Amino acid sequence: MKILIIEDEKELVGTIKSFLEPEGFLCETALTYFEAEDSLSTYIYDIIILDLTLPGGDGLDLIKLIKDKNRQAGLLIVSAKNSLDDKIRGLDMGADDYITKPFHLAELNSRIKSLARRRHFDGANELIFNEIKINTDSNEVFINETILDLTKKEFEILLYFIVNKNKVITRESIAEHVWGDNISYSDNYDFIYSHIKNIRKKIELNNGRNYLHNMYGIGYKFSER
Amino acid sequence: MRLLQKTNRTYFLISGTAFIIAGVIFFFVISFFFKDQLNEKLFHDIKNITRSIKKNGTLPNYYPFIDIREVPAQSERSFKIIDTLIFNEFEKREILFRQICLIRVINGKEYFIAARDTSIEEDDLLEVIAIVTGLVFVLLLVSLYFINRKLSMKIWQPFYKTLDELKEFSHDKPGFRLSSESELFEFTELNKTLEKLTKKVISDYQSLKRFTEDASHEIQTPLAVIQSKLETLMQYPDLKKEQAELINSAYVYTLRISKLTQTLLLLTKIANDQFPDKKAINMAELIGEKIKMFEDHILEKSLTLNEDIKPDCFLETNFFLAESLVINLIGNAVKHNIKGGIIKIKLDKTHLEISNSGEILPIPSSKLFERFYKTDKSSDSSGLGLAIVREICRLNKWEIKYVYENNLHTVIVNF
Repeated sequence: MKILIIEDEKELVGTIKSFLEPEGFLCETALTYFEAEDSLSTYIYDIIILDLTLPGGDGLDLIKLIKDKNRQAGLLIVSAKNSLDDKIRGLDMGADDYITKPFHLAELNSRIKSLARRRHFDGANELIFNEIKINTDSNEVFINETILDLTKKEFEILLYFIVNKNKVITRESIAEHVWGDNISYSDNYDFIYSHIKNIRKKIELNNGRNYLHNMYGIGYKFSER
Repeated sequence: MRLLQKTNRTYFLISGTAFIIAGVIFFFVISFFFKDQLNEKLFHDIKNITRSIKKNGTLPNYYPFIDIREVPAQSERSFKIIDTLIFNEFEKREILFRQICLIRVINGKEYFIAARDTSIEEDDLLEVIAIVTGLVFVLLLVSLYFINRKLSMKIWQPFYKTLDELKEFSHDKPGFRLSSESELFEFTELNKTLEKLTKKVISDYQSLKRFTEDASHEIQTPLAVIQSKLETLMQYPDLKKEQAELINSAYVYTLRISKLTQTLLLLTKIANDQFPDKKAINMAELIGEKIKMFEDHILEKSLTLNEDIKPDCFLETNFFLAESLVINLIGNAVKHNIKGGIIKIKLDKTHLEISNSGEILPIPSSKLFERFYKTDKSSDSSGLGLAIVREICRLNKWEIKYVYENNLHTVIVNF
């Protein structure tokens, strides 16, 4: 799957690339408006990440070009926080999703995968991790083909983990993903822990293995180890 | 005290004193001159009487005006000017007379001669002077009052207009101008100075705002880079516990600065009134939604939630701002609560009340809505939440206040 990252901050592009490539994405980058114009007119992409605050031109103009030359591509726009206008205009012009900067890499990964699932319908609505299977259309989780009874939030957390499998996911990132970024009004993240405890318990009750590992107070990692 | 009152009062005091002094002087001068004239006249009378006696040898007698008696020789020579009371038969009362009496030798005989004339009675004089000066005084005051009123209406008009316009001045409204014109140099000068001053205030405020905005923007990108680098660093396998803790600590603080700059930006944007789209917002629905958002936190702290929300309370405002207001208030009520505490949320068409149990405020409640006033210096809160709430209220012209009653902290917003 081919991704074009249009973002002027070189350092950020580098990290995004190094985070996404192990996930099986082929990443190309455009650092300026003109590079983006060039790439978009020449190649076909599956997913485009577009930072709207781009030197050399208005990011919103690039949306027109994308809709013209890369119609089938999933478009994720990146805007500054609190820039509601950009967000709304971008979505109106045909962007599929938006993410505000600064973002968690795990969140970006989750948004891209969700876009990718929506682009490729055949079988892509199922995520499988060993004995765990998630159907993202019906929002159901199976362990060894038995359905797992999860609350909405537990489902969202588990999906977030599986999408970001083998990655360290911070508590802040989970909180923001499930509860929204206003969660920082809370002074602790204990409430996340109780959800995670419940997920573990439910998986184990259905003879699933515990893939959820604590990472020294940073957060969690969903992996086989 | 108004200018008119003040000038009137000053005029009254000063002219009052001046008139009293003038009255006193008047009194003494008049009585002195009167008596002097009287004395002169009486001397003149005596001269005439003496001449008449010398010529005619008869003693004229016009009692009480002239009184002449022959006295034995070698009487004591005396000369007196005195005031004396003499009974008047017509008026049936004693009247004050001034008299000059002396012993004089005429044609070899000694006579006692007294020349008298009605003198001025001092109480009467005093009364007349008091009435006259009083009348003049009142007349003066009345005319001063009208002159002043006229002046203040006409001359001070541009001043009052300027004052009214200044009251409307707001540092975040560019293009402020004073419209009043005056032919008076002082007022023209005042307006010029004020205009210069307001222009400076506005431009200072604008540049400060721009600085906050630019600074927050510029900080945002490096922060995004740091955050992503730290998240990448976390992915390294075989991280040692100490290393992970170091990374986490840096990460948590990076997020905090990031949140802080975002909140500062938001504050600037609210102050700039950059949320113009308004529509009718169902506050009851919005609050219900946000309570749901915090349900995990409420559960985690075992808080009792007490809702008294009237359905269908609509407010004409910006959705994002209404949302920020509600999130901040509920978030605060949760965050600053004690384990097992209470949250009360009350909403009707005119006001929203959010109360919570919690420790007594360690800061004065007047500072509660100030930026960066934190109840707990070490807490990870920005200290900007209530400042945002206040800005939102200011923009919407809602009144906000804080009360502490029955061990409950309550923030009340009157729409």
